Amino acid sequence: MSTSGDYKQQHLIKMANQIAHSMPTRDDIAGQISAHMRQFWPSEMQQTLRQIASENPDLLSEDVHNALQSL
Amino acid sequence: MNMVQQFDPAQVDYSQDLGTPGAESDVMVTVRIDGMPVSVPEGTSVMRAAAMVGANIPKLCATDNLNAFGSCRLCLVEIEGRPGTPASCTTPCAEGMSVHTQTPRLDKLRKGVMELYISDHPLDCLTCPANGDCELQDMAGAVGLRDVRYGTEGENHLDRGKDESNPYFTFDSSKCIVCSRCVRACSEVQGTFALTIAGRGFGSQVSPSEQQPFLDSECVSCGACVQACPTATLQEKSVIDLGVPSRKVKTTCAYCGVGCSFTAELRGDEVVRMVPDKQGGANEGHSCVKGRFAWGYAQHQDRVTTPMVRDSIEDEWRPVEWDEAINFAADRLNAIKSKHGVDAIGGITSSRCTNEEVYVVQKMVRAAFGTNNIDTCARVCHSPTGYGLKQTFGTSAGTQDFSSVEQADAILVIGANPTDAHPVFGSRMKRRLREGADLIVIDPRSIDLVRSPHIRAEHHLQLMPGTNVAVLNAISHVVATEGLMDDDFVYERCNKTSFNAWVDFISLPENSPEALADITGVDAETVRAAARAYATAGNGAIYYGLGVTEHSQGSTMVMAMANLAMATGNIGRLGVGVNPLRGQNNVQGSCDMGSFPHEFVGYRHVSDDTVREQFSSVWGVTLREDPGMRIPNMLDSAVSGDFKGIYIQGEDIAQSDPNTNHVAEALKAMECVIVQDLFLNETSHFAHVFLPGTSFLEKDGTFTNAERRINRVRPVMTSRTGLSEWEATCALSEAMGYPMPYESASEIMDEIAQLTPTFAGVSFDLLDKLGSVQWPCNEQAPEGTPIMHKDAFVRGEGQFMTTPYVPTDERSTRKFPLLLTTGRILSQYNVGAQTRRTDNVVWHAEDVLDIHEADAEARGVKDGDWIEITSRAGQTRMRARISDDIPAGVVYTTFHHPVSGTNVITTDNSDWATNCPEYKVTAVEIRPSSEQRA
Repeated sequence: MSTSGDYKQQHLIKMANQIAHSMPTRDDIAGQISAHMRQFWPSEMQQTLRQIASENPDLLSEDVHNALQSL
Repeated sequence: MNMVQQFDPAQVDYSQDLGTPGAESDVMVTVRIDGMPVSVPEGTSVMRAAAMVGANIPKLCATDNLNAFGSCRLCLVEIEGRPGTPASCTTPCAEGMSVHTQTPRLDKLRKGVMELYISDHPLDCLTCPANGDCELQDMAGAVGLRDVRYGTEGENHLDRGKDESNPYFTFDSSKCIVCSRCVRACSEVQGTFALTIAGRGFGSQVSPSEQQPFLDSECVSCGACVQACPTATLQEKSVIDLGVPSRKVKTTCAYCGVGCSFTAELRGDEVVRMVPDKQGGANEGHSCVKGRFAWGYAQHQDRVTTPMVRDSIEDEWRPVEWDEAINFAADRLNAIKSKHGVDAIGGITSSRCTNEEVYVVQKMVRAAFGTNNIDTCARVCHSPTGYGLKQTFGTSAGTQDFSSVEQADAILVIGANPTDAHPVFGSRMKRRLREGADLIVIDPRSIDLVRSPHIRAEHHLQLMPGTNVAVLNAISHVVATEGLMDDDFVYERCNKTSFNAWVDFISLPENSPEALADITGVDAETVRAAARAYATAGNGAIYYGLGVTEHSQGSTMVMAMANLAMATGNIGRLGVGVNPLRGQNNVQGSCDMGSFPHEFVGYRHVSDDTVREQFSSVWGVTLREDPGMRIPNMLDSAVSGDFKGIYIQGEDIAQSDPNTNHVAEALKAMECVIVQDLFLNETSHFAHVFLPGTSFLEKDGTFTNAERRINRVRPVMTSRTGLSEWEATCALSEAMGYPMPYESASEIMDEIAQLTPTFAGVSFDLLDKLGSVQWPCNEQAPEGTPIMHKDAFVRGEGQFMTTPYVPTDERSTRKFPLLLTTGRILSQYNVGAQTRRTDNVVWHAEDVLDIHEADAEARGVKDGDWIEITSRAGQTRMRARISDDIPAGVVYTTFHHPVSGTNVITTDNSDWATNCPEYKVTAVEIRPSSEQRA
């Protein structure tokens, strides 16, 4: 993912993993991540993240994968 | 029939100079001034009481923003039953006192005093720049001076030279009467102590520093001395050049988030000077060098006042009429919408524009563009404040008014540099510190507050950049484990479950100062002492700036501070609180006005059906329920080819946003970039449409400052562009098919009030009546809300959040061993678009890199050398300055000059919750450079 076309995806991956890593309260972390994404992410970004999870699952943390289940 | 004239407190004109400051007391005393009874608070001077009933006593050394001094001996009065003729400025009123302000004895004494002054004063009134605006001249008239028995040939000071070193004012010592008003203004009001009286007796003279020119002294050019001077000794150069002003307009400064009120004084359509308004709630008569003097950019030759378009960014600009520019922009945006969909376009609002201008831009984007792709430059400064305070307290706003600091017992300053970035509030804070409040500074740099005249931070936690949360956790750990919490407050006001979880978390050994010392670089005892000082002082107040928010854990840090304030009960009354010092004049307002992509006006989520339907109904259009993209998302999408057009209001993202190369790549990739600004800024290099903006001197509307104070901005001069900015926005919206037919800025505010519960009571009429008002302003608080969360938090119960420290990815390495942090300085403002076009460049002509002596020596760098700075994002060059304000391992610079390319080297790291860029931590390496610029 080094071309400019992938820049957006790189940032989404970084953002998602960072949210999962930094979310202050660890209870129901998947629920918190999905709630955060619903609150702040456009539908298109959520959709792109789902696509990344499907095509490159290793790039996202387990918490993000769990969050996507309820997103 | 009672012939005694009665005193009516409502009739007192507080805008006039009442001679001495007001007294605060619940005890009232009644005195008679020339027979007229007047009741005043105990401690009020005779001079002030007299002025309140219209008996203005002659004075020279007294003015009502300075403590009484009693030196000029012009204000003498006679008091029945008391011997002599005491000075009315230093004599407090006492119950039953009967004062005479005009008697033959007093007339004779005053004339004698004036004769002495005038015998050593140039008799050049007709050619003096202060002619008609000179208190000495006025007093000579007031006492009826007709001749000077001593002549003017004796020993005098008339041949003293003039100091013209300061770009904005002159110091003509030959006109000085040594009343000390300037000296006292510098110390009491500004708190810089740059001026003194040198010499003794006849040789006494005002001296900047140790008889240096003003420009070489510690003077910060706030102008308080100029304002205080009763003669032409200290005089604005603009008055010397243009003459005494002939009309006045009250308005609000357009620089930092303090939002000072000013009276613009003009001759015709030309500003002569800006005088801070002593009735201004934010500044109470004080100002800084930017607000008082640096307004010349509004008439700078670089100003673009004609709309311009071009087909390609390779083409030359083509000046056109407004209609053509608007239609050009609308056609392009509509074409993109048709071809790529509504989410291929968006907009950015500006925190330098009025609430009304911001409101119409976000409305245009949501209603005419059809998307929620609207964001604001607050994204890159205080968006974590919005997130963090909403989570914990329930709304995105500072809790106090500025005057609250006067009741603080311990002041915790975190990641802020008030004396440079919010100087008028900084002066207010310094006044409280001189009165004895404790000061705790958490900052990698030794900012001025750490040690300056009569100010010393008892606790300076000089942490490594990026470790804010660790330090706050350590402080809270001490509070929680040493029994320093306010249990009653927590029990009554906060959510118990969240509190218990927080206590469990914060009490963990890994959050102790001892465990975190190696990470933060702050020794445990220093942390413990600071925690105790804050928690046990009585009133503990937190003030913070971008050194908190511009981190990967910016939002976490805001919540950590809120936790600390709640745990210690420091919320909901005077003297306490959690207070963001907003960077730009209308950061608070631009956020309030619905500039974030997930929120409508008043911080209400776009997915809230009830709220959305309310807006849809009033706006007459269906609105989207999903959030739009933030600025970095829009830029990423542009680079990937999905985002094609943007409207940028008063913001220079190509200079101010991080990773400049990425920003440039994104802008280049777009098909329609519309820039609305005063100047052809860096972003306009990539623009297809340039819509000329208006300066604050031409705007009609409101700004909302850091204390939620809504202030009127009134047009001081006619618009140089032919249109208000909101009119241009409305024209574009209409050309895109969605008319917004407002007749005035006032009408826009009326719609804001209609749609926003916290603004429901706000109108231009109310603001004109009250001067200003702090939101919430509605039926429950018809005159506003100075202190928030008094009886309950906005969200109900205060919510504690656990705040684990997560180190940033941006760490020093062998390749990039130094940590760069950035900030601003007093004389410049943000990207410098305004201040670089004023004489303020005399203080800061270029950005430099501050580096510790050890780091410089290790790299063979000497003071003033050109150096190359490299990060993983890019490379730039600037001069080095050896400084002991920063610890080894840390370097610091400003971003006021585009040529410096500071943001070429900052990275795309950002706050986890809001994407606020991590400007404050960039790993870099430096080396000497043979070249001067990148």
